[in-house]
Amino acid sequence: MTSGTYVPGLEGVIGAQTAISMVDGANGRLVYQGYVIADLAEQMSFEEVAFLLWKGRLPNPAELDALSLELAASRALSQAANVALDALPMDTDPMDVLRSVVSVQGVEHRLEKPSVPLAIHATASFPTILAMFNRRQLGLAPVKPRADLGHAANYLYMLSGKESSPELVRALNTYLVLLADHGMNASTFTARVIASTESDLTSCLVGAIGALKGPAHGGAPSAVIDQLELIRAADDAERWMRDARKGKVKFMGFGHRIYRVYDPRATILKDMCRRMNPKFYELATRVEEIALRILHEEHPERPQSTNVEFYSAGVLEAIGLPKEYFSPTFAVSRVAGWSAHVLEQAANNRIIRPQSEYIGPEPRKPVPLAERG
Amino acid sequence: MAEFSPGLEGVVAAETAVSEVDGANGRLIYRGGYLIEDLVPVASYEEAAYLLWHGELPNEQELDALRQQMAAARNLNQSARGTLTAMDPATDPMDVLRTVVSAQGAAKSLTKPTLDEAIALTAIFPTIVGAAYRRRQGKEPVEPRADLGHAANLLWMMDGKEPEAAKVHLVDTYLVLLADHGLNASTFAARVVASTGSDLTSCVVGAIAALKGPAHGGATLAARNMLDKIGSADNAEKWLTEAHARHDRFSGFGHRVYRTYDPRAKILREMAKSAAPELYKTAARTEELALKILHEAHPERPNATNVDFWASVVLTGAGVPKELFTTLFATSRVAGWTAHVLESLSDLRIIRPASRWIGPQPGKKPLQLAKR
Repeated sequence: MTSGTYVPGLEGVIGAQTAISMVDGANGRLVYQGYVIADLAEQMSFEEVAFLLWKGRLPNPAELDALSLELAASRALSQAANVALDALPMDTDPMDVLRSVVSVQGVEHRLEKPSVPLAIHATASFPTILAMFNRRQLGLAPVKPRADLGHAANYLYMLSGKESSPELVRALNTYLVLLADHGMNASTFTARVIASTESDLTSCLVGAIGALKGPAHGGAPSAVIDQLELIRAADDAERWMRDARKGKVKFMGFGHRIYRVYDPRATILKDMCRRMNPKFYELATRVEEIALRILHEEHPERPQSTNVEFYSAGVLEAIGLPKEYFSPTFAVSRVAGWSAHVLEQAANNRIIRPQSEYIGPEPRKPVPLAERG
Repeated sequence: MAEFSPGLEGVVAAETAVSEVDGANGRLIYRGGYLIEDLVPVASYEEAAYLLWHGELPNEQELDALRQQMAAARNLNQSARGTLTAMDPATDPMDVLRTVVSAQGAAKSLTKPTLDEAIALTAIFPTIVGAAYRRRQGKEPVEPRADLGHAANLLWMMDGKEPEAAKVHLVDTYLVLLADHGLNASTFAARVVASTGSDLTSCVVGAIAALKGPAHGGATLAARNMLDKIGSADNAEKWLTEAHARHDRFSGFGHRVYRTYDPRAKILREMAKSAAPELYKTAARTEELALKILHEAHPERPNATNVDFWASVVLTGAGVPKELFTTLFATSRVAGWTAHVLESLSDLRIIRPASRWIGPQPGKKPLQLAKR
């Protein structure tokens, strides 16, 4: 391919070939390895979906047992990770905690190739890191992981120190299944760029966490709650929202580069909100209706839709997660997809090294220091 | 939809004024329009970093201010110290760098990348690299010295003794040469992370992670390992012929962008003569033969020596142990990474390419667990 023209954001440029997930934006479908998300969301455990993403097929009962055992056996942090976690100030952003402690947990003496066992090991550690840090912030002693609990149940157990209701476990599990992969999003693409240099899996994951932290990617679900609280406090929701738009305030939880119709994950999460978080649901549906109307008035030509973050916020709130832990919990899910993409990239690799277009001055001579004005 | 170009080869993913790799003419242009070979004789690493950040070389006053700011930012904070000492001393130094930079930058809330942060991040790298090296040797890390320049302080923190001027010069020149290089994989990783609105530490951590790969920053070590295996100029012919027959790749040759001799390799080759005379002999003979073998095998390909090959000889001459090579690369490139992130802020748009689906036809129904 010869030098092309600059495409901002690489929009529409194919960054990779993948069989892991497909975002069919025109038809509002998200597909994991051939399965439509609606067929997986409320039937499969996160463990089954992680297996699917890593291996390309659903596990049989024996394989699922083996995976569950291996995840359970990998939940404890290394000595170094424990010490590092305690060295971070109590008020550290949990995304920075995750980035740093995942990095320590994955240090190695010599470079190892990404593998499914390493992916399992990393995936198992995310809930432990977050739960331990949250308990430290609350002044509570850490809770040891429970090998007899599934991934979602154990995360909630390590946060609260007690077993959560089956309803909450199911809700978190569905959330984890829904967010586990999503095509060539920015964090997954970051992981693949890093993998393309033949770096190790931990390096790929640490880079992906850094990308997910950005508010234009995973860093916004807590902002949905913040904005809804402001609207709730206002006398008139619509007036507040119209004033906000005049001040160029973005509506949190709306718009997506790819979906041209309703995000299928948002549909499922919305329904969960209705059941689990009626207070949130009542306000959110009203705000959604107004937001879509205003956005449509502003840009009738653009397809406007609610994105996954909007109703995720209500589900995660109902589960009892503090809002600073919304984005890191997104990572707890997406690590399955990230590592699957790293394995896929490594299996058929070429270093990702695009070109840039130089927009600086023509070559000229430098002036020695003493002569510079 | 467009065709897929593996590795995004030829795809333009950013507009930049930070640097330009003019591969056809073998030129590397740093911000402001300076050719690398013109810059090396007149600029220290601090000046080159200032140039990449500001677009112009500093005057004496501006340079003094930058040096002071960097010297004041060389200490690790509590989190970084705790994290550093938590790790096994035998940890890969790139993993130490990735982790301690992450801890040093762990913050309460998200902040937009700033120039001050870029300066502080750049200043901290030698402290971490020096500490990682000393811990590997079972020694205590030494405190940074505010009276030394960037390159001298790096050697001080590694060895704990007054660095020789000649070695400081070698390291400083190396750092100037490697400070930026268009949209390489680590810089691109930094720009993708930045495109989500994330913080500067996250961008730099992602870039370190990418640089660690043997296909990117690890190539300098690979070149030196190859030279170690060859051992002497006399053995070069036998070793290379046999390696070629085994279809082994020669480390230190070839580059996606340069179609002629890499201008940085040319400068480093010249420096290598006096920096490491013995290793230079082996390397020069290796280069001569490798280029001949590669040309015979692929006359259609432009096969040239890359920067990693000669960097491995110069760093050896500067007394840098080979297990630190990739961290030295990072210590230089952090100026470029941060310059690219700061540049990208003026027109931030999330980098989210498309993908081509090569999986099964969507819509198959999942079987219940018991039926699988």
